[in-house]
Amino acid sequence: MASAEPLLSVRDLHTTFPIRSALLRRRVGGIQAVAGVSFDLQAGQTLGLVGESGSGKSTVARTIIGLEQAASGQVLFQGQDFAAAGRAQTRRLRRDVQMIFQDPYSSLNPRRTVAELVSEGWQVQPGFGPRGTWRASVQELLERVGLNPDHLDRYPHQFSGGQRQRIGIARALAMSPKLIICDEAVSALDVSIQAQVINLLQDLQRDLGLTYLFIAHDLSVVRHISDRIAVMYLGRIVEEGTRDEVFDRPTHPYTQALLSAIPVSHPWRMPSRERIVLAGDVPSPADPPSGCRFRTRCPKARDRCAVEVPALEVRLGEHASACHFAAVEPAVAPTA
Amino acid sequence: MRLAERPTGTAAPGTRTGPLLRVQDLSVSFATGSGRLRAVDGVSFDVGAGETVAVLGESGSGKSVTAQTVMGLLPRPAGRIDGGSVSFDGVDLLDRPDSYTRALCGTDIAMIFQDPLSSLNPVFRVGTQIGETLRRRRGVSRRKAREHAIEMMHRVGIPAPEKRVDDYPHQFSGGMRQRVMIAMALSMNPRLVIADEPTTALDVTVQAQIMSLLADLQREEGMALVLITHDLGVVADVADRAILMYAGRVVETGPIREVYDHGAHPYSVGLMGSLPTGDQDRLTPITGAPPDLRQLPTGCSFHPRCAFATDRCRTEEPVLRPAPDRPQAHLTACHHAEEVLADGIR
Repeated sequence: MASAEPLLSVRDLHTTFPIRSALLRRRVGGIQAVAGVSFDLQAGQTLGLVGESGSGKSTVARTIIGLEQAASGQVLFQGQDFAAAGRAQTRRLRRDVQMIFQDPYSSLNPRRTVAELVSEGWQVQPGFGPRGTWRASVQELLERVGLNPDHLDRYPHQFSGGQRQRIGIARALAMSPKLIICDEAVSALDVSIQAQVINLLQDLQRDLGLTYLFIAHDLSVVRHISDRIAVMYLGRIVEEGTRDEVFDRPTHPYTQALLSAIPVSHPWRMPSRERIVLAGDVPSPADPPSGCRFRTRCPKARDRCAVEVPALEVRLGEHASACHFAAVEPAVAPTA
Repeated sequence: MRLAERPTGTAAPGTRTGPLLRVQDLSVSFATGSGRLRAVDGVSFDVGAGETVAVLGESGSGKSVTAQTVMGLLPRPAGRIDGGSVSFDGVDLLDRPDSYTRALCGTDIAMIFQDPLSSLNPVFRVGTQIGETLRRRRGVSRRKAREHAIEMMHRVGIPAPEKRVDDYPHQFSGGMRQRVMIAMALSMNPRLVIADEPTTALDVTVQAQIMSLLADLQREEGMALVLITHDLGVVADVADRAILMYAGRVVETGPIREVYDHGAHPYSVGLMGSLPTGDQDRLTPITGAPPDLRQLPTGCSFHPRCAFATDRCRTEEPVLRPAPDRPQAHLTACHHAEEVLADGIR
């Protein structure tokens, strides 16, 4: 896709968690939670990052925002390297990139009022006007996210789960960010509330020109909200492309199996649907298979897969796939 | 006969006539720091032998409390049964002491929980736990119980059960642990299995494996299966019938395709509109939030969130009645079901 400089560019990112010995806490190995992840995210777009537990999708997010240290690789925001930025630049970057977390119960300090929670960032970041105007600004934000602006002196426990997630969104918006990372931001909500929050996120994107990195395990939700999709398996991206390319014409065997497993609310309306059931479990990231990490569960695996790591590149159609045999028939039947 | 009490279960062919499980007008409340909370309010349903029934609802709908009451697992003294009856195979369980229910549970009735890690004992080998019921209830030998555990593990698709039978729960992945739970539940050939959010904690590919395993076992064993879930998608493939709960009441019930395709209650229609299907630009969620169970709205509990609500809904509580012009087994608790159905066709 030829276009302007991406807002966020992740280059060959590696994040490793040390394994330490029980006795002297000596480092005896490492878990490569993220093993060479690269992607671009254009301003105003939503990239959906999907994968199952242990795929490393949340670690990617945490590394981008600096909650985990990258072992190697680069995170460029508007062309600027996060790791190489000076103090003033880092401060600016921390403002521009905000995160919304999964659990609206544990991510808000129970002893702070809504006004304190939403305005917290203004105390450390310059440029948000004099303190006297903050209450009015918080009220505007509350209204923006669909909360009663008069509730600014209430505490988190006085709100429902969906309302608390709205407080989290208001808190992120308070910093006037360019990029919001949503880490399972709607996963803990009941379906009727989830739909409300999804609509809110879409409205905010349209009105404020926000960019989202949307991380979730619920593929139906990701499909609904994303422009592009990246599928992760065991620390690597296995397939990346536009939403319709990835969902309608998946070429990686893992993506094909993953999509076929999505629970469908009206299965009788799609009689041709075939479910690909993967054998076995995800291998341990402490000891990943050689070559292609998916080969141990892959119906297409051959000798080459054990020795050669497949690069993420366009092999069939218009989007990238990290499978040596992405273009080889018989491909596993796509869903729907 | 009141409509709410109309038996909707299908009796097993050639056996007894009554349903296997019959819940009638069940009400359960909990004591909280700020007053009593009505968690289940006049719930009635039947489950026929060999039938698969999905009990659907969001948090606070009362679906799990209903299951706990059936299993005699209601936390006491906070939880209290205020009325109604639960009968299994014609015997009223609420009349009997909890010990009677518990004796049934594990043998005739079994339960599968959401989180296998916290439901399995971490310090006992899985084989011991799977064989425990058999040893305690039937007094079989340790060796026989172990053999039985291996056979059960094989049946639920755990590879190399002869080796894994001596492993501890932490040595299994989430999906395999849930298979261990299923092996435990099925070890006594129960006639009824209640699964409370059996796949919620699992990844989507594992979720699919576990649901197809449950469906296969149900078909082979002919047991009745009650699936309690908030996820409308995961049960659509396997359930015969759906029971949709909201704020402690059954708001709609019927064959699952009927309820999903011809929703006759604004809540079920709203839930369907909240699900991303891949072809909408925008979701159409239900407005507002579920009510506080300590201060339920008057009349129909759903009326504050309902586009069809009229004065009648604010004063008169709707009872389950046949959905107009739909198959007889399809019941809805809405005064305006005619309009809801007409709206869905439009």
